[in-house]
Amino acid sequence: MVKQTKTSYKSSLSKNNMERESIIKKLQSIIAKVVKLENVKLTEESTANDVKGWDSLSHIAIIAQIEESFDIKFKLRELAKLKKVGSIIDLIIKKQN
Amino acid sequence: MSFTSFQFLWVFPLFVLFYNLVTQKYRAILLLITSYLFYLNMQPVLFIMLLIVTALTYFSAHYITHQDDDDKRVLGLRIGVVCTLLPLLFFKYFNFLANTLVTGLQLIGLEIHPITTNFVLPIGISFYTFMAIGYLVDVFNEEVEFEPNYISVSLFLSFFPYILSGPIERAGNMFEQFKNLKRSTWNGLVSGLKLMLWGYFMKLCIADRLALYNDLIFTSIPNRSGSTLAIASLLYPIQVYADLGGYTLIVMGISKCLGIKIIPNFNRPFLATSISEFWRRWHISLIKWLTDYIFTPLSFTLRSWKLWGIITALMLTFFISGIWHGASFCFIFWGLMQGALLSFEAYTNPKRNKFEEKYHLRHKGAYNFICILFVYFVFAFTEIWDKEGVTWNETMLILHKIFHEWGTPYLILSKFLYASIAFIPLLFSELRNEYKPERFLFFDHKNIFIRWTSYLIILFMILTIGVLNSSQFIYFQF
Repeated sequence: MVKQTKTSYKSSLSKNNMERESIIKKLQSIIAKVVKLENVKLTEESTANDVKGWDSLSHIAIIAQIEESFDIKFKLRELAKLKKVGSIIDLIIKKQN
Repeated sequence: MSFTSFQFLWVFPLFVLFYNLVTQKYRAILLLITSYLFYLNMQPVLFIMLLIVTALTYFSAHYITHQDDDDKRVLGLRIGVVCTLLPLLFFKYFNFLANTLVTGLQLIGLEIHPITTNFVLPIGISFYTFMAIGYLVDVFNEEVEFEPNYISVSLFLSFFPYILSGPIERAGNMFEQFKNLKRSTWNGLVSGLKLMLWGYFMKLCIADRLALYNDLIFTSIPNRSGSTLAIASLLYPIQVYADLGGYTLIVMGISKCLGIKIIPNFNRPFLATSISEFWRRWHISLIKWLTDYIFTPLSFTLRSWKLWGIITALMLTFFISGIWHGASFCFIFWGLMQGALLSFEAYTNPKRNKFEEKYHLRHKGAYNFICILFVYFVFAFTEIWDKEGVTWNETMLILHKIFHEWGTPYLILSKFLYASIAFIPLLFSELRNEYKPERFLFFDHKNIFIRWTSYLIILFMILTIGVLNSSQFIYFQF
């Protein structure tokens, strides 16, 4: 019984990791498209400062593009909490569920 | 009592000593009493406005926090923001709005006598009002918790180092520090005094030196040649930077001596290679405030308009920035120009990024140097409209003379020589901090002899080149 629970926990963890990886890839292509760079490499710890051209002007365009691509809507109050890529992923997953 | 007065220079060390003698429990109240006395010493009558704005801020934040219903929270925020803004709107804009209305009515044939009030603008009102609004919005957004201690809220809005000209501080940064006011440390005192020394140097040796020339030129525009006005216009941004930048360093230094960290206002703005980068480096606390509380909500609301949403939000944000600088059409035009320039950059930035990537230009010195010069010239041009006391007609006259009546430049070589000598250490420090921050250290050199020689040279320059009888800082008028 315990073994079975552990296995299902592991599988949900790896499913969660896969989901996060696929979101990060999608975010890379969205941000690259908005700031017109060929390649954008992101990690969960990346912030706007790590990407050339990701400033307060392009930030809103990136947010709008994320909303469109993931078919979700952010609230203004949530924007201030999106300090790094990891927190954007958390919020996308929360909204999709 | 100005920070550049001799009175301040002997009162401040005594205050630091006293601050360290009282127990932690009483330090916040001591800071508050000192801040209020500091304000009363400058403007006793309008001190009441500071008390009113403090009370409004405290009770609005209390109301917003203690409501479960979202509609009531929104209503609390709206009422709080409007009431906090009313004194600023009245004191700063009443004459401007009334006269604009009267002129408009006269144009359509209605004869109305101009209405003017003779109220003096409460010192620091633009700064403490913006800080109060920022706090209310942060409480509403649950980014900052409501501060139940009335003394902390009062101190946040009146803290004597920044009440006169900023930086526009954030509640989230200050409340934590006010809760735990420690004794000054040796390192804090040393780095605070270094900041103050450099701030006084910028203010007295550069800003006030250049002001001797610029004030003379801009108060006699009709008698000056185009070339003279062009020189004064090109020097003006350096004067403003040394003035507000120097003031901010003094504020940061004073606070650091008391163990309090204040946000910086400048980050080597004249080394920016684009207008948007310039605005991330210039008057940072104001721009960050405008970005967080005006631009972001507006552009987020208008995001379905895509690029046009960003452009509209930018224009409105800088329109407000212009009005914040002063109640005149010159300041409004200045704000709209900044908005238009940033909008143009927002539109062309992706193309510029591609172009720079294609030709590997980002790390090329010559390309960056041209961009830096271009940004400086554009900013200096827009600053023609950003001068207190210079009317719209005078700005038009400046432009007319620069482009049509070049003439012979009026140069006061002795004044330029002193300002140029003082400019060398500033330029060196800016370039070092930007490109080689770990090298060529003087104030922070590990060798005590080099450190102390540097302090003494700067002190000597302040005493010999500095303008020691100057009146006040440019941003006090805001």
